[in-house]
Amino acid sequence: MKKKLNRYISICILLISIGVNAQETKPLIQSKLEGTVIDAVTKEPVIGASINIKGTTHGVQTDFDGKFYFQTGQKFPYTLVVSYLGYKKTEVVVNRNSVVIDLTQEQNALSEVVVTALGITKEKKSLGYTTQALKGKELSDTKETNFLNSLTGKLAGVRITNSQGDMGSSRIIIRGETSISGNNQPLFVVDGVPVDNSQLNSVAGVAASRDFKNAIADLNPNDIETLTVLKGPNAAALYGSRAAHGVVLITTKSGKNQKGLGISFSSGITISQVATLPSFQNSFGQGSNGKFSYVDGKGGGVNDGVDESWGPKLDGRLIPQFYSNGVAVPFVANPNNVKDFFNTGLTFDNSVSVAKSDDKSDFRLGINNQKQTGTVPNSEVNKTNFTVNTNYQITKGIKVGVNANYIVTDAPALPGGPSGNRAAGVMLQFLWFGRQVDINQLRNNRDVNWNNSYYSNPYWNAYYNTTSQQRNRLIGDIHLDAKLAEGLDFKFRTGVDYYNDRRKYEIKYGTNGTPFGSYAEDAYTVNEQNTEGIFTYTKKINDDFTVDALAGFNIRNHSDANNYQKAPRLAVPDLYTLTNSRDPLTSSNSLSRLRVYSAYASAQFGYKNYAFLNVTARNDWSSTLPSSNRSYFYPSVSGSLVVSDALNLKSNTLDFLKIRGGWSEVGNDADPYQLATVYNFQTAFDGNPIQTSSQKKLNENLKPETTRSTELGLEASFWKNRLHFDFAYYNTNSFDQILEIKTTTASGYNSQLINAGKINNHGIEIQLDGNPIQTEDFRWNVAVNYSKNISKVDVLDYDKQIQNYTIGSSGGVDVLASVGQAYGALYGTAYQRDANGNIVVGANGLPKADPTKRVLGHYTPDYLAGVTNTLTYKNLQLSFLIDASVGGEIFSGTNRTGTYTGVLAQTLPGRDAANGGLSYYTSGTTKVLVPAGGAPAGSTVYDDGMIFKGVYADGTPNTSVLSAQEYYKASYNISEAYIYSSTFVKLREIKLAYNFNKSFARRLGLDGASLTAVGRNLLFIYKDAPNIDPETAFNTGNAQGLESLALPTTRNFSLSLNVKF
Amino acid sequence: MLKKIAYITLFALSLTSCNDALDDINKNPNATETPLAPYLLTGSLKQGADLYWGSDNNFNSSLLFVQHWAKIQYTEPDRYDVSNTSFTSLWNTGYATLITDLNTILKFPEAQANSNYKGIALTLRSWTFLLLTDAYGSIPYKEAGQKVNPAYSTQKEVYTGLLEDLKQAQSLLGTANGAVTGDLAYKGDIGRWKKLVNSLRLRIALRISDKEPALAKQTAIDATSDAAGLISNNSDTFKFTYISSPQQNPASAWFETRDDFRISKTLVDKLNELSDPRLPVYAQLPSDATVGKYVGGANGLSNSDANSQGFAKTSKPGTYFLTSTSPAVIASYSETLFNVAEAVARGYIAGNAEQLYKDAITASFNQFGITDATAISNYLNQATVKYDATNYAKSIGTQKWIAFYGQGLDAFVEWRRLDYPVLKAGPATVLDGQIPSRFFYPGTEQSLNGNSYQAAVSAQGKDLLTTKLWFDAK
Repeated sequence: MKKKLNRYISICILLISIGVNAQETKPLIQSKLEGTVIDAVTKEPVIGASINIKGTTHGVQTDFDGKFYFQTGQKFPYTLVVSYLGYKKTEVVVNRNSVVIDLTQEQNALSEVVVTALGITKEKKSLGYTTQALKGKELSDTKETNFLNSLTGKLAGVRITNSQGDMGSSRIIIRGETSISGNNQPLFVVDGVPVDNSQLNSVAGVAASRDFKNAIADLNPNDIETLTVLKGPNAAALYGSRAAHGVVLITTKSGKNQKGLGISFSSGITISQVATLPSFQNSFGQGSNGKFSYVDGKGGGVNDGVDESWGPKLDGRLIPQFYSNGVAVPFVANPNNVKDFFNTGLTFDNSVSVAKSDDKSDFRLGINNQKQTGTVPNSEVNKTNFTVNTNYQITKGIKVGVNANYIVTDAPALPGGPSGNRAAGVMLQFLWFGRQVDINQLRNNRDVNWNNSYYSNPYWNAYYNTTSQQRNRLIGDIHLDAKLAEGLDFKFRTGVDYYNDRRKYEIKYGTNGTPFGSYAEDAYTVNEQNTEGIFTYTKKINDDFTVDALAGFNIRNHSDANNYQKAPRLAVPDLYTLTNSRDPLTSSNSLSRLRVYSAYASAQFGYKNYAFLNVTARNDWSSTLPSSNRSYFYPSVSGSLVVSDALNLKSNTLDFLKIRGGWSEVGNDADPYQLATVYNFQTAFDGNPIQTSSQKKLNENLKPETTRSTELGLEASFWKNRLHFDFAYYNTNSFDQILEIKTTTASGYNSQLINAGKINNHGIEIQLDGNPIQTEDFRWNVAVNYSKNISKVDVLDYDKQIQNYTIGSSGGVDVLASVGQAYGALYGTAYQRDANGNIVVGANGLPKADPTKRVLGHYTPDYLAGVTNTLTYKNLQLSFLIDASVGGEIFSGTNRTGTYTGVLAQTLPGRDAANGGLSYYTSGTTKVLVPAGGAPAGSTVYDDGMIFKGVYADGTPNTSVLSAQEYYKASYNISEAYIYSSTFVKLREIKLAYNFNKSFARRLGLDGASLTAVGRNLLFIYKDAPNIDPETAFNTGNAQGLESLALPTTRNFSLSLNVKF
Repeated sequence: MLKKIAYITLFALSLTSCNDALDDINKNPNATETPLAPYLLTGSLKQGADLYWGSDNNFNSSLLFVQHWAKIQYTEPDRYDVSNTSFTSLWNTGYATLITDLNTILKFPEAQANSNYKGIALTLRSWTFLLLTDAYGSIPYKEAGQKVNPAYSTQKEVYTGLLEDLKQAQSLLGTANGAVTGDLAYKGDIGRWKKLVNSLRLRIALRISDKEPALAKQTAIDATSDAAGLISNNSDTFKFTYISSPQQNPASAWFETRDDFRISKTLVDKLNELSDPRLPVYAQLPSDATVGKYVGGANGLSNSDANSQGFAKTSKPGTYFLTSTSPAVIASYSETLFNVAEAVARGYIAGNAEQLYKDAITASFNQFGITDATAISNYLNQATVKYDATNYAKSIGTQKWIAFYGQGLDAFVEWRRLDYPVLKAGPATVLDGQIPSRFFYPGTEQSLNGNSYQAAVSAQGKDLLTTKLWFDAK
């Protein structure tokens, strides 16, 4: 292996030396040209358009006034090729020293230039796969604090899940889950530097554990120029190991197109409200069996330790409560007691950037500050981004540059308390709640609580039991571009993504369940370094054939380290240090490192500008694999044919027709340290060290994983680009997956690492973009995307011994990769049913659980769709986005708990006569319906009788009467009862933007200004799951489809002003 | 210029190229690949004690089933309203930690673990398998740790297999077979380990006595006549003594932050009825001083009814059990004497069953610090305590039940086998008035070891709490 690598490095060196020997030439000036490029319709200058002299490599760009200037060795007349993203490429013959060029906009530019793998720009028509891009403005306008949320509904085949609340993570999945156990999120590359998007400390399936923001959310959308999604391995093959799940390429803004000094200022304010709170009942208060009276909140009174709402009617009767010092006070509903706990969130977002460029250099400096106070009281996040992009031309043909983004995140308190403490979950307490509780009484005195058996006051939790986070991150690179010869360029880049992330968990002395309080510090350090060199070669062989090739190498080093220390019980209150401890500290630390060497090459052959063939090849050497399997090679091939050009099919109807297709293979390595089984140390006992099995049997013969993908597609546009259509079909097989498969512990291990597993994903994506109405002043644009992905777990182990892989669990429901099923099967307890499908009840009238667990649904949706309508009238633009996720299921712990505790409105039917309850009296322990003649004398009659719809074991209908309390508690351990369809249709976004016209702006001394108002997450047009937002999850892991007491999602309204000087 | 850049590039390359072998990078810096016998032994003892004495298998399950403790909050387990995710720790820790670590010791070459380490490992492994089969019934035994999908062995196979294993453990153990460190239970005293082995053999002999009387008898004879002897005084008792936080007794740790358990009313009533001097050891007076007497919490109440008994008006378990240094008793002298008494009563061996019964009760008193001879003899001479030769199961069953206070799993298995004392399920329990006869298999067995599980369940009976196990014939 080493030999191979050395050989490859020598080739690199050889190539570099060739470059060094290339001669520089100085052209003679033959002519000078000054020109302006303007929009053919608006007559506004076009900024940043490229102007090339045809037949040469000489090119310039227009400045802020649309002006350009040439000094050239060419003599008049010569032809200029003018191009700009979104405009038709135009050729103009010039024969004198000044020219004005009109560019015509193309709604769906067919000669569109797109960013592809490794940041190489290519003509879209030459590609054999799909990419989709969004402009930075679409991300920054939304003012989402996690910019991934802005992608929702806008990109075909891209699924975004906002995990929890307003400060949580978002998960992005492109074309389904292709890895059974590993990370399924795409690789993020910012200006050529792969950056980390981990969500550290996410524990799958632990409801109370915190949902920290995923790392990519650190980026400031104001700094983003474009975001391009490479969907799946076909587009991303050159990225190798990490391409199986697609790549998101982010290009940040630079000063390149800024002639003269340009200053941009942007300021926004966002108001957030909790959007999806459960719907509560307000007829019955805290207690049990209709009884309640408060003494000490822990069983001293009547049911006052009960944290459920099966108590007396909220009819104003007088009952002592937690704040009344034993005085009986009116027992009335507080319908908004949960809603009023939450604040209106506020986010202020301000940024300033300065940019400039001249012949030799360009730079952009930016600073952004975001201050967010959340909907949960006391929650706050502050983030500041400093960015620098600069390039300098050292000498002709050689440019060097630096990009740096320094991000400081300081969150003094995140919503929800430290994990693992039952009392600290925000929504937990509200779903075990007294509906009569006056939240103002709790707000005014944090030392008292409505219940002291289980909880501390919710404000006590919010203000005293805090999780803080401080993160300092540097993403940056230095790079060099050298023109070695005609058509031959070399790019070198070494980049880093380094961050420290420190969390502090404080629990105050006197907290329920943690009487001495506790303090923990959790520190992470992540370091990702990539060094790469790429040679690119472009050659027009003759009028018909072009070649565009590259070869390069990459060296990747990644490390992450964690150090956790906890003082389990504080010695004195309110001092949060690790030394203030009654007990020895508990601590752990870990370090993980990996290195990958890669070499790659690709070539594109073009024929007559309508047929293109692309091939790529890459070889990786990874430290995480055993030396015998360390090196792995994978190729890809794709092609594109512009049928409309090749067969000359252009007509008034058809503008453009392209078919494309490709096949690719990518490999993937393992996580570090998966080869040798190890033993762990535990805290020594009285001087005796303790060792124990890590319970994980590792595998010294691991092979790389392989993903193979086929993609076919068609693009067409009609009626002078009034309608554009893009269709893609893909089929992806991932096999030899490295699976840490859960095994029965009776095998000796909790899990074993195997190299098997095959999962198939196939699906289609459709994008439609049309302009039903288009006049000079008014345009109506409709953009539709639709995607459907079907997954199937084919094999887990090649011996076919293992049928299920557990991805995660919550509340008795497992999320499985189960052989023969779609990925993400929800597996749990179902009702026992007879042959006719009736639920079987016991003699007591309670439903029975089927002892055999079964698949109750899948979390993966059937299809996703999004429709954006944009109406533009002169400078005013209105757009609205509706998106839908159809199919798939979710297990809702909120509904499960809230039904059990009687707080939800859905537990109202049957609770009294007015709500349809049956009248009964008790005879011994059985409840007997009151017969027509009335109950026997002296018996108490209750009016909350209910009968569970079902049959007895002998098939006769159930007639046993239950109290409403028994009825609603009956299905608590039957998961099936709380599985809902996760289908939803959301009005995701409405945006109103006004661009001040340039002449008006100039009169104010500005170069441009715009005002944008956006509403996000506005309402559900349709959803099935009650009381929750079905678009929720614990974290960004693969254990989706589980909900339990999730923080409510928020509805956001923002107003922002952008000004350019 | 280009040359300079080429040099810089080369320099950068040389910094990052393959100077470090990729193999070195992938050497795990967080854990060791080389385990050591004494460290594994310490770990097995500690984790075994935690498992036996901790919440999942003891006070939040079996100790409730036998009505030693009761819940005043979160009463679901006390109402048997549990699922197949409730009893996973005995299985998972038993197999993946204890049995796996002990097997590691057993597989060591002589240089890494002498014969005494192996004898101790085999003894502890047998004890673990015994806990597992007592609780679940058929379990993976022969194929445990051997296969990804190990088949289950029947209880008969497990018990007889364990008797063979213990015989082998006895032969591995010898005072001349090398020193043992890391032994927190017996401090390397091999003689005591040998006594424990015989006491466990006797324990198993009685487990199978209703089904395999001939083997039971032979085992009882072998175990009681072995030269090493049985556990013969309270200092031979096999126990694990905890120290201070965070290595404190699991029940003590629990009560530091939680307040959901009380001593059971059933036990308090019984101890009151017998004027048992162990009551002040087993229970605390309620924190509300006006109550002034021991009040147990009733088992199997709804959360609200349980709550209504009042946290301050009911008795917590005694401080003897809730101190950070309280021991986890695993095999006591008292139990051994009860077992010998029963072996005599069953006619397996010769002896005076009544005297052995009295000695067993006396040993229990001593174990809990009650040594006043008058008090003991007054107690023993009560008609309600006196040995009933016509119904030894009742006498032994009842007194063993009292003596086993805190040892939930063993109290649970002996209560099922002897059927005494007669316990009644609480009013809000969900098994139609029955008390559990076993643990559910972990739900993960269905998904991870489905075929083996199905085969076991079809032979043993449905995977229900109420399914009677093989040993529990009567």
